[in-house]
Amino acid sequence: MITFALHGIGVSGGIAIGRAQLVSHATLEVAHYTVPAARVDQEIARLDFAVDEVQKELTALHNTMMRSGEVPGEFGAFLDVHWMILNDPTIAEAPKRIIAEQRCNAEWALTQQMNVLIDQFDQIEDPYLRERKADVVQVVERVLKRLMGKPGSLPSAVAEERTILVAHDLSPADVIQFKQHHFAAFLTDLGGVTSHTAIVARSLAVPAVVATHNARQMIRDGEMLIVDGSSHVVIVNPDRAVLAEYRLKQSEKLKRLRSKPAETLDGQRVMLNANIELPGDLAQVLDSGANGVGLFRSEFLFLNRYGLPSEDEQFEAYRAVAAGLSGKPLTIRTFDLGADKQKADLEGLARVAPNPALGLRAVRFCLAEPKLFGTQLRAILRASHYGKVRILIPMLASVAEIDATIALIDEAKENLREQGEPFDANVPIGGMIEIPAAVLAMGGFLKRLDFLSIGTNDLIQYTLAVDRSDEAVSHLYDPLHPAIIKLIALAIGGANKAKVPIAVCGEMAGEVLMTRLLLGLGLRDFSMHPAHVPTVKQRVLGSDVGAIKPLVERIKRTDSPAKLAALIDKLNA
Amino acid sequence: MLVREIRLRHANGLHARVAARIVKVSGRFRSRIVLCVGERRASARSIMAVLMLAAAFGATVRLETEGPDELAAMEAVSAVLVAPGERK
Repeated sequence: MITFALHGIGVSGGIAIGRAQLVSHATLEVAHYTVPAARVDQEIARLDFAVDEVQKELTALHNTMMRSGEVPGEFGAFLDVHWMILNDPTIAEAPKRIIAEQRCNAEWALTQQMNVLIDQFDQIEDPYLRERKADVVQVVERVLKRLMGKPGSLPSAVAEERTILVAHDLSPADVIQFKQHHFAAFLTDLGGVTSHTAIVARSLAVPAVVATHNARQMIRDGEMLIVDGSSHVVIVNPDRAVLAEYRLKQSEKLKRLRSKPAETLDGQRVMLNANIELPGDLAQVLDSGANGVGLFRSEFLFLNRYGLPSEDEQFEAYRAVAAGLSGKPLTIRTFDLGADKQKADLEGLARVAPNPALGLRAVRFCLAEPKLFGTQLRAILRASHYGKVRILIPMLASVAEIDATIALIDEAKENLREQGEPFDANVPIGGMIEIPAAVLAMGGFLKRLDFLSIGTNDLIQYTLAVDRSDEAVSHLYDPLHPAIIKLIALAIGGANKAKVPIAVCGEMAGEVLMTRLLLGLGLRDFSMHPAHVPTVKQRVLGSDVGAIKPLVERIKRTDSPAKLAALIDKLNA
Repeated sequence: MLVREIRLRHANGLHARVAARIVKVSGRFRSRIVLCVGERRASARSIMAVLMLAAAFGATVRLETEGPDELAAMEAVSAVLVAPGERK
């Protein structure tokens, strides 16, 4: 294997090392054959069907994108353009005439028509308008892939290995799908600083080199690549010495980032905590440079087992994590059982609720099963002797639930005192803000609790009355709904005013496109999957809270979703 | 038939997103809507035709509308041409 370097434009900095994954390009592989006269209609129907399918694909992507709020809003406009091109008679109709006249296959007819259009574009003087031919090629590419029986989606990255996507060019539809895969870097033959690839790569904080001219032809599937976005270079098949050198560079950079405190450009300190599900996730937390654990979901104790975990077993699990964090805070959320986390072997949950999300779950279930709850509370309290433990209560709707929970905690403390078990008598007790009622009646929460944590996933579900797992309505799940932003602003503002610490521990906290919005709303404590800590930290380091404040004020007042999307884009620019 | 000439002031001329908005707006009217740049003419209902007009920054676009709602169509499409890209 020969080592060689390719040069391009590094549109997103950083170093990635991984294996190449080539994106196939249907336009380069089109065959030509003649169709018997009797089958012409069938061939035309085949084209119609493919165009129809791609239309559905683009619409579905558009909906996914609007829902997730994870991709810059202008991508919606790009998808609209592609949808219109697809429906334009020059693409949807003209190839049919070619099929009929030349008795050729649909792929060939479509490619020929594409070449006619490209020739026309090539005659345009203005360079920017001339480049719009790329949109035509990308649309045709999608239809061809359908015709040839290949799905329109990108290959998914192999999770265990770092995968680098190598493509001739990528369409907006392609890049929206990036969000669902985890590529270590992007390489394209075409493109520039403002190409779709560049925009998304930067938003994902993933290295990217574009305009390499022929990377797609020079690189083979599975080859080892080093992508250095900061130096605009790609090294193919690096030898051991080069690889070692880059690995060192990479790890030093990560190390520097890991030990760097998360502080905004205008000097605001921000806490970045990790969400974990298993005691084994601890190593990843320490590796990420997180300040501590902002959410330790305790439901793992019920995984793959029959019956209830004993107090000692729970204590041991909590203690291990508390001690392993060596002084860093550990927030343990009490059982969030019920709803989607059905456990048929628990007596109280044996009956199937007609509407589980609104039924007996989380703290409601725990208060209905005081024995089970008491066991967990005692185990957590005992672990508090070995680290900086905090207790977090999920799904609170009313102060009565808070009072009942605190009474149970006091009872557990009394038990432990009698038994002579050591524990932290001042262990902070916090509540999840995930029901709109909790935000709107937050005064009582602020008086009774030591800290709050906003669970955005449930808050969105309950505010918009949308079950995200129900495909029929999942497109209505919108983290950027004006009502959601207003509720979050209200919660953060109220807690900050009362000087009660507040965090966000939902998916929103780990989403880099939301970081500035949350900072601007006054949030200084984020809890997320440990993998997201470095990227969010990078975003925090590059944000100026004072400067974005006026924009965030406008976002808070906006009721129009379109305007909101534009403002969020501006915020992230 | 109504005719109006508009000079494009957007940095990238009649680029893809503006073209898309012209097609979208035009779809609301029954009148014939045509854009002309020099000798080139394009139906405002076809995004490809509008893109191929190659109307760059500073180009003058002649907008023609003809039909039952020609005045409303003229106003609506002019608005997009005059302030392309402005969404506020």
